[in-house]
Amino acid sequence: MKRFTCSGCSLLCDDIIVRSDGLFIDEVIGSCMKGKERFDQVTSKNRITSPMIRRKNDLQKVEWDEAIKETITILKNSSKPLLYGFSNSSCEAQSKGIELAQLINGFIDSNASICQGKVLNLAKELGINLSTITEVINKADLLILWGANPAETIPRLLNKTLFSRGKFRMTGREIKTLIIIDPVKTASFNVMGVRDIALRIKAGKDLELVRALKEECCQNDSIPSEGVAGIDSEDLKRILLHITGTENGVIFLGQGILKSTQDNVLIREILDFIQVINSKQQKGRVSLILMGGHYNMAGFDHIALSSCGKIGGLQFKNKQLVETEDTIVSKLERDDFDCSIIIGTDVISHLPYTLSSKLAKKPLILIDNHRTATADIANIILPTAITGIECEGLAIRLDQVPIHLEKIINPPSNIPSDEDLLNKIIMRLNEGGS
Amino acid sequence: MELYKFLPKTNCKKCGKPTCMAFALDLLQGKVKIDDCPPLLEPKYQKQYASLKELIGSEEGQQKELRINIDSDLCDGCGICVTVCPVNARYCPPSLSGKAPDYPPEKHQLFQVKSGKCELLKIEYCRRIEAEGRERECRVCETYCPREAIKIEYV
Repeated sequence: MKRFTCSGCSLLCDDIIVRSDGLFIDEVIGSCMKGKERFDQVTSKNRITSPMIRRKNDLQKVEWDEAIKETITILKNSSKPLLYGFSNSSCEAQSKGIELAQLINGFIDSNASICQGKVLNLAKELGINLSTITEVINKADLLILWGANPAETIPRLLNKTLFSRGKFRMTGREIKTLIIIDPVKTASFNVMGVRDIALRIKAGKDLELVRALKEECCQNDSIPSEGVAGIDSEDLKRILLHITGTENGVIFLGQGILKSTQDNVLIREILDFIQVINSKQQKGRVSLILMGGHYNMAGFDHIALSSCGKIGGLQFKNKQLVETEDTIVSKLERDDFDCSIIIGTDVISHLPYTLSSKLAKKPLILIDNHRTATADIANIILPTAITGIECEGLAIRLDQVPIHLEKIINPPSNIPSDEDLLNKIIMRLNEGGS
Repeated sequence: MELYKFLPKTNCKKCGKPTCMAFALDLLQGKVKIDDCPPLLEPKYQKQYASLKELIGSEEGQQKELRINIDSDLCDGCGICVTVCPVNARYCPPSLSGKAPDYPPEKHQLFQVKSGKCELLKIEYCRRIEAEGRERECRVCETYCPREAIKIEYV
């Protein structure tokens, strides 16, 4: 039986069985609730099937030509456009997005800049090994969840890593040790066995914990007897024994370690700690897996790195890349834009009100496949097909492995994919210019 | 040990076991019956026989029918039970990212995730029924369910 890849979250499970007659999806077998919801979006009530333009505070259905014409007019009249989103688009669409940003001299950024993008950037700078899921299945013997709750965010991650039986880890769960570092007792704590360790640290004390561990790693008996960050010194010594004795350890960094402030002290310290362990160890090593949310969260950084040589936000001026440290947050803070294109993300729900309200004051073009809170403030809505179900494309998994997503059914009323739509806009812009 | 207290403790070997302790252990696992011990049937041990009958009887009464209840409101289809179940694991062909259960399901498969919810296909091949000895006490699916949706019960 043919197996498809689910595009519900960044794990991109490639063992999903979809029974369909080419028009509708009958049954999805093997996927979690998140994946099932993704397949249900096809026939969802919120699905957009025709382009819409806001006239007199009301969204009206219009023809494709009219909607694209209006989009071109907005883009031509703007000097500082902002492109944001792209984490729910294929890699092909992301490279088209960068092409479009170059053409209209805009600023382009993805959801990764407020998520794991900076961790990836720092890890690449320091040269830390990023592990893959297959490596974890076959070789890992220690899993550390730091500020992560995969049981609720990426439901099948623990199934695919901790419980899977691999080539050198035949017994699966029994041979792998789990350490969870989290201030809250989450659902992931329920999979703990006898040998596993749970560290319930005080909220916001991660920095003290990682500094204490690093110091203890360099010189013995430096941990104060009363413990650090609400954890006993005995427990700290135990987990250090595990970490320094591991053959192949993996640290899963979740959203919990990301702070909204711009300084990356905590992330730097954690990465530094990994380097210290790896330099001290004789045989084993510790590597990293970054847990993103959207299915192609890691993709934009890779496309940006390969096409422009830089991770994160890209600013174009006179069709040339300009050095900038800007992110979507700093751009919105300074109000440094005059129109925006949002692709496949719900900014109104994700960003705080002080930032997202600024988007509402300027023309907003939304490219998405279903109605979200952002649709209520959009001036133009252009519908697209759902990648991985209605059109094919490449996506990059949370462990930076590229996976091909296949087409299963045809999109309703022949709506284009993200890639085709962006291509159409680029062609129309080029025609107008010449 | 509880059972041993009520045995004659004479090590008479009439039951075929070397000691009364060995008989007690087998009694616990259900390999022998109380009536297999001839001295116990004598009127001298009548009281002990009755209390033993009560102890074993209550346990036998519990082990009537095995049920694995899956709360579909709590379940989010993570499939940990599918992977961790030792019976299922034998019938999982490898895929690109780990092993995935066969489809259509093998006749031995206990669990299957369908439409985002886990469902019990059949219970006949569960280790609690099939296996012997310590393996019979298998509770992995219940222990490792992160949502605490699985409950093993005897009704």
